Amino acid sequence: MKIISESLSKPDAVLDRGAFLRCAGIAAGAAAAGASFPMPASAAVPDTINIAFFTETKPTEIAKGLGWFAQAVGTARINWSEVGSGAEINTAIAAGSVDVGLGIGSSPTAAGISQGIPYQLVGLIDNIGPAEELTVRGSLHIRSPADLKGKTIGVPFGSTSHFRLLGLLKEYGLTESDVTVLDLRPDALVAAWLRGDIDGAYVWSPAKSKLLANGGVPLRTYDKLDAAGYVIADLIVARTAFGQQYPAAVSALLRAYGRALALWRTQPAEAAAIVGKQAGVTAEVARHDLEEYDFVSLREQLSPDWLGAPGHPGTFTGVLKRTADFLVEQKSIRSAPALSVFGQAVNTSFLTEATRSSGT
Amino acid sequence: MSRAVGRKPSTASRRFALRDWRFTVLSVAIIAAAWVELTSSGRVSDLFLPGPALLWSGLVDLVEHGYKNRPLGVEVLFSLERVFIGFGTGAIFGTVLGLAMGYYRRVDAVCSPYVEFLRPLPQLAYLVLLIAWFGIGEAPKIILLFLTAFPVAAVAARDGVRNTSRVRILAARSLGAADWQIFRYVIFPSALTDIFTGARLALGLVYATLIAAEIIAGSTGIGWMVFDAGRFLRSDYVFVGIGIIGLTGLALDRFFVALERRIVHWAGK
Repeated sequence: MKIISESLSKPDAVLDRGAFLRCAGIAAGAAAAGASFPMPASAAVPDTINIAFFTETKPTEIAKGLGWFAQAVGTARINWSEVGSGAEINTAIAAGSVDVGLGIGSSPTAAGISQGIPYQLVGLIDNIGPAEELTVRGSLHIRSPADLKGKTIGVPFGSTSHFRLLGLLKEYGLTESDVTVLDLRPDALVAAWLRGDIDGAYVWSPAKSKLLANGGVPLRTYDKLDAAGYVIADLIVARTAFGQQYPAAVSALLRAYGRALALWRTQPAEAAAIVGKQAGVTAEVARHDLEEYDFVSLREQLSPDWLGAPGHPGTFTGVLKRTADFLVEQKSIRSAPALSVFGQAVNTSFLTEATRSSGT
Repeated sequence: MSRAVGRKPSTASRRFALRDWRFTVLSVAIIAAAWVELTSSGRVSDLFLPGPALLWSGLVDLVEHGYKNRPLGVEVLFSLERVFIGFGTGAIFGTVLGLAMGYYRRVDAVCSPYVEFLRPLPQLAYLVLLIAWFGIGEAPKIILLFLTAFPVAAVAARDGVRNTSRVRILAARSLGAADWQIFRYVIFPSALTDIFTGARLALGLVYATLIAAEIIAGSTGIGWMVFDAGRFLRSDYVFVGIGIIGLTGLALDRFFVALERRIVHWAGK
């Protein structure tokens, strides 16, 4: 109860929606527990963690499905909400109703940091690499990006796939008058593909697998685009205030994820079966999808090639900055801050703690 | 935005027809002052609510440069065209069917299950089906708007026919009027008030469905613009878009009110 009166006594707390919702959450949690117990700020275990997630074929599904996240944090109850886009995670964290975003793409994250959404990048799941790639209709004999002229391509706008498709058009000198780019959700993409309404689609699995099974072939450009700076990745973000209040919980979540990734590395068959069950696909499909992602272990993430050690931002900060600059060019966001702002938004202290205690 | 559709001209509304503009101005002024105060004091983040300066710069930017390489006017025209075709065909076909349903009990018995089922159905429920059946061009968008307007217009016209006073029908018949004359000169004029009410209601719903229609394989239209800008929390563009949708909707609604006053000038008298 003490927490509530403290935050309400701050003059602006009532109108700060985030604080208001947090208070409401704490109040509800305390009421549910039937008691208020004293909690020192640093070692505290939150009553409830609100995690936003995507249903996708990744080791996160193992840690989620087997209850490792909840187990690692301790007594916390996890309130899972499924989202369809990183933009939803940005909005929910801005409103204070989500604490941790699991698997948010690098382009919504770059947009969120630019817009001052109060969160930090605390971990990285994978370098997307070939897992998101342009799929074109095999019968059209599209051999190079130049053959895309006059074609119609569907993509979920605002996603990492959209970011890389726009990069592809730019790199190969194609404009949006040469290629018709349509905004389609993954399920709608599959429907439009089956009807023959679109010639290509830039998307991830399971939609991508369905296109490949129905006459689609990948037009491999991801390697050139990655080299040209259009690197895309899936990340883990935590609301800044949540990380400050419950650092141990954030580290525990990362540790649980590291354990799931280790399972995929050491026992792929077992891991694929669990992931498939969680994501609603067969173990074979799950295994194939999992193999396409370049998952980065917790320890590797701390290297200068990725997020870097605390206080020494790695090269991934530059990826975020370039992504944000590109989004400004696209008029998706108003402005992008300096590189240092992205460096400050990356907080690898939780990762350091997680690797120290687990060894992954 | 006032969307007071479905209000029948009655004694009560005639009494309030002369709106006290001072209160309208006062109400708008209070809301505007609260908006300026909340945004300029920085208590509300501009991600949630853009301040006047930001909203203005967003509007100027959209007017000068358009949204993502397409002029703003073109986006508005795309949407208006869809609304006109979808609403127009839906309202006309719905009204014709509704008149038949009101006049012939058997037509009503055959059609009402579908009309009644379709009316409350949320459009998002069958969005993917529309793509699977009608593709990703203009067809699914217009069909969605048609399906929104159609049942509302049909039910309104049917009820309008049913509400015709029996006394007037009997009076016309005793004067020797044929069935078609009774329909043309008694039932139809009497149903017109309900038909107009239904049309205004349908227009409001069509406008509300515009975003759902335009996110089917979008990239054009003001509804899609609002949706797309919302993805990056570009609240300035979102509010400009909402303003445009609201004001054009209001203008169309006023147009219908004026049309109704002109055609059904005897209503409520």
